[in-house]
Amino acid sequence: MAETLQSLARGFSVALQPAVLLYAFVGCVVGTLVGVLPGVGPLAGISLLLPATFGLTATNAIVMLAGIYYGAMYGGSTTSILMRIPGEAASVMTCIDGYAMARKGRAGAALAIAAIGSFIAGTGSVMALMLLAPPLANFALRFGPPEYFALLLLGLLVLAYMSGGSMVKSLAMAVLGLLLGMIGIDQMSGFFRFSYGVVELGDGLGVVPIAVGLFGIAEVLATAGQEVPPKVLKPKLRELLPSRQEWRESVMPIGRGTVLGFLIGIIPGSAHIISSFVSYAVERRLSRHPEEFGHGAVAGVAGPESANNSATSGAFVPMLALGVPSGPIPAVMLAALMVHGVSPGPLLIKQQPELFWGFIASMYVGNLMLLALNLPMVGIFVNVLRVPYSLLYPSIIMFCVVGVYAVNGSVVDVWIALIMGALGYILRKLGFETAPIVLGAILAPMIELALRQSLAMSDGQYAIFVSRPIAGTLLAVGAALVLLNLVSWMVRGFDWRKRIPLDEHGENL
Amino acid sequence: MTRLRLLLAFLALAAFIVLAAGYPAVAQEPYPSRPISLVVPFPPGGVADLTARPVAVAMEKVLKQPVGVVNKTGAAGAVGIQSVATSKPDGYTLLLALSSISIIPEADKLFGRPPAFTVDQFAPVALISADPTILVVRAESSWKTAKDFIEDAKKRPNQISYSSSGIYGTLHMAMELLSHAAGIKLRHVPYAGGGPALTALLGGHVDALASGPSVVLPQIKAGKLRALAGWGDKRVAALPEVPTFKELGYPEAEFYIWAGLFAPKGTPEPVLAKLREAARVAVADPEFKSAMDKLETPITFKQGAEFQKFFDADAHRLAEGVRKVGRVEQK
Repeated sequence: MAETLQSLARGFSVALQPAVLLYAFVGCVVGTLVGVLPGVGPLAGISLLLPATFGLTATNAIVMLAGIYYGAMYGGSTTSILMRIPGEAASVMTCIDGYAMARKGRAGAALAIAAIGSFIAGTGSVMALMLLAPPLANFALRFGPPEYFALLLLGLLVLAYMSGGSMVKSLAMAVLGLLLGMIGIDQMSGFFRFSYGVVELGDGLGVVPIAVGLFGIAEVLATAGQEVPPKVLKPKLRELLPSRQEWRESVMPIGRGTVLGFLIGIIPGSAHIISSFVSYAVERRLSRHPEEFGHGAVAGVAGPESANNSATSGAFVPMLALGVPSGPIPAVMLAALMVHGVSPGPLLIKQQPELFWGFIASMYVGNLMLLALNLPMVGIFVNVLRVPYSLLYPSIIMFCVVGVYAVNGSVVDVWIALIMGALGYILRKLGFETAPIVLGAILAPMIELALRQSLAMSDGQYAIFVSRPIAGTLLAVGAALVLLNLVSWMVRGFDWRKRIPLDEHGENL
Repeated sequence: MTRLRLLLAFLALAAFIVLAAGYPAVAQEPYPSRPISLVVPFPPGGVADLTARPVAVAMEKVLKQPVGVVNKTGAAGAVGIQSVATSKPDGYTLLLALSSISIIPEADKLFGRPPAFTVDQFAPVALISADPTILVVRAESSWKTAKDFIEDAKKRPNQISYSSSGIYGTLHMAMELLSHAAGIKLRHVPYAGGGPALTALLGGHVDALASGPSVVLPQIKAGKLRALAGWGDKRVAALPEVPTFKELGYPEAEFYIWAGLFAPKGTPEPVLAKLREAARVAVADPEFKSAMDKLETPITFKQGAEFQKFFDADAHRLAEGVRKVGRVEQK
C-alpha cells in the first residue's frame, strides 16, 4: 500500500507538469465535445486525433487520448437528456429517463446527476484500476466467447425490462432489432447478408445511425407532427440543481453503477456499451417504484451514466496490465504508444512506471477537470431548451446528419439514419417503443459472433456453455431471473383474471 | 418554355467555356501541382495507417506537395480500395493497401458476387514493408518446436484450434497455407480483427495464432508466448532463433503481411515514375526509418517490375489459398 502511494505521488509529479495538465485538459474538452455531438463517439474522436499525437511524448499522447475517452462519457449524456439523441452508443439508456426528466422540467437535475455520477464513478474506478489492475487483468482474459455469450444473453434479458407498456410490443421490437443486426458480412463464413450489392452494408447497420435515427430524428418528426406545438420549456435557475429527494434516489444507483461498470468494463470487447444496459436493468429491478422507469426515474440516469464512465477505466485494466488490445478504443491507444516506441506488453508497468503512474494520476486530475467543466455547463446547456422549436428542430436534424456522416464519412450511414427516423416515427404513432430495437441491433451481431465462436471452439458441442465455470454461472443467473419472472408473472396472471370482470364492469358504467 | 431553353443553352455555353479554359491548364500542369490524398482502407491505429502516415510525411518532402492520409474504412477494406479503383487515374489519389487487396476479389468470386474491385484495376507503385507472419503459442503449451506442433496436429486432426483476424483474413490465410503444406487440419475460430484474436490466444481460448511479429514481440519477450516458426523466406530479424517453415521442409507455407503503394490503373507513366522515385527517396529518409523501427516493422522496398513480380506471385498464392479453403459451409 505504501509503495502504491509512493508510486502515485510520483505519478502526480508527472501529471501535474504543465504540459501534461494541458494535454489532459485538451483531451477532456475534446472528449466532452465529441460526446455532445450526436453520433461521433469516443472511438471516432480518438481515431481522428491519433495522428495529432504523433508529435507529442508518449505520456502526453496517452493522457490526451484517455481524456477524450472518459470525457466523451461525460458529454454523451447531454444531448440524450436534452434532445433524446444519444451522444454516443453508451448513452442510449440515458435517452429514456433523462429525456423524460427533461420533459418534466428536470433537465438541469438530470444533467447535474449525470455529471456528478460520472465523476464519482470515474474517480472510484481509477482507484480500482490502480489497486487491482494486475490480478484482475488475468481474470478478464478468461472471458472467452462462451462467457461473452452468457453475459450478452443476460443483456438480452434486459430487453424484457425495457418497456413499461405492452410486453408483446416490446418483444416484437426487440426481435425487429435483432433482425436488423443480422445485416452484414457473416463473420464465420464470409457471406454478405441482406447487403443487396451495397458494399457499405457489409459492415451491417451501425449502432450510431440506428440510434440517432430512431431516437433523435423520430423525436423531431413526432413533435413536429403534433397539432398543438409543445410548450417551450423555460428552465428556472432554481430548478437546475437536483432536489434532496433526487439526491437520495441517486446515491445507491451511482455506487452500484460504479462497481458494475468497472467489472463489465474489464471484459475484452465492447463491454462498456453493455454496462449501461445492465445497470439500467439492475436499477429497475431493485427500485421500489419500477413503474417510474421510462417516465423520468432519476435512478435510470444515475446508474447507467455512472456505469459507462466506470467501464472506461475498466477497459484500461487488460490494456495497461497485459498490453492486450481488449477493445477497439484500447487498440487505438496501444497503437499510439507503439508509434512512440513504447512496446505495450505485460512488462509495461514495470518498464514504464512514469507513464503508467502518470497516466493514473492524470485520470484523477482529468475527472476533476471534467466535473468543473460540466457542472457550470449545465446552466448553459439547458438554455438549448429555450430555443423556439422552429429553429431548434432543423438544427437538431442538421447535427444528426453531420454527426452520423462524420463517424465513417459514409453517405449510406446518413440514409440509414433517415430511414430509421421515418421508421421510428411510424412505430411511435402505432404505440411501439423504439429503445428495444436499438438494443437488439447492438446485441445481435455480438451474440451471434460469440455463440458461433463458442461452437467453433467446441466443434459444435453445446456443453461448452455449462462446462466452463464463468459461463455456467452467468447462464444460471439468467435462468434464475427468468424463473423469478415467470413466478411473478403467474401470480399476476391470477390477479389479472380476477380483475377483468371488474374492469369490464367499470367500463360499462 | 423558350426562356427555359435559352437559360439551358446559356448554361451549357458557360460550362463549355469553363471546361475549355480549364482543360489546357490541367494538361500542362506539372505533376504534382496540388495536394495528394493517400487512401488507407483501414481505421487509424492499424498496421496500414501506422505505415501510411510516415510514408506520407516522407513523400511530402520529395513531392513538395501535401500528402494527406484519408482513412476510408468499411467491409474489411473493400470500401476504401473500391473508391480508389474508380477514382481518376491522375496520381492525386493513391492507395496504401495490405495483402488483403488480393484476397477480397477472390472471396467475392467464390461467392459469385460481383467483385467490389479487381487486382488489375491498380498500378503497383512500391512495396513498403513485407513482414512474414510467425506461429505463436502460449508459453506454457507443450509444443516446444514447430515439429511438435505439426506432429501433434497430425495425431489429433481438428482438435488444435487457432484464432484469426476473420474469415479469409490475412491471419486465416497464413494458417491455411501451412495446414495445406503440412497436411494437417486445425480448428479455425475467427475473431473480428487481429487484436481480439491475440486476446483469445493469451486468454487460453484457442491454442495457436499466426501473427505479424511486431504485435506479439512484447508478449514473447515477457515470456507469455512462444514463437515456433515463421512463414518468411528468411528468419525474422528480431527472432533469429526461430526457424522458417521453408527450412523445416514446407516451402509452400510462405506468407507476408505486406503494405504497398498503389495508383489506379491508367495513371500516366511519367506520373508513376515520379511516384516510384518519391517512394524510393522516402523509404531512405531517416525519420521514416526511425518511425518504422519504433513499430518494429522492417522496411522491405521493391518497385517497378520487382514489385509487380512479388505482387503477382503473392496474389496467385492467396487466390490458391482462398480456393483451397472454399466456401465454409455449416459444419
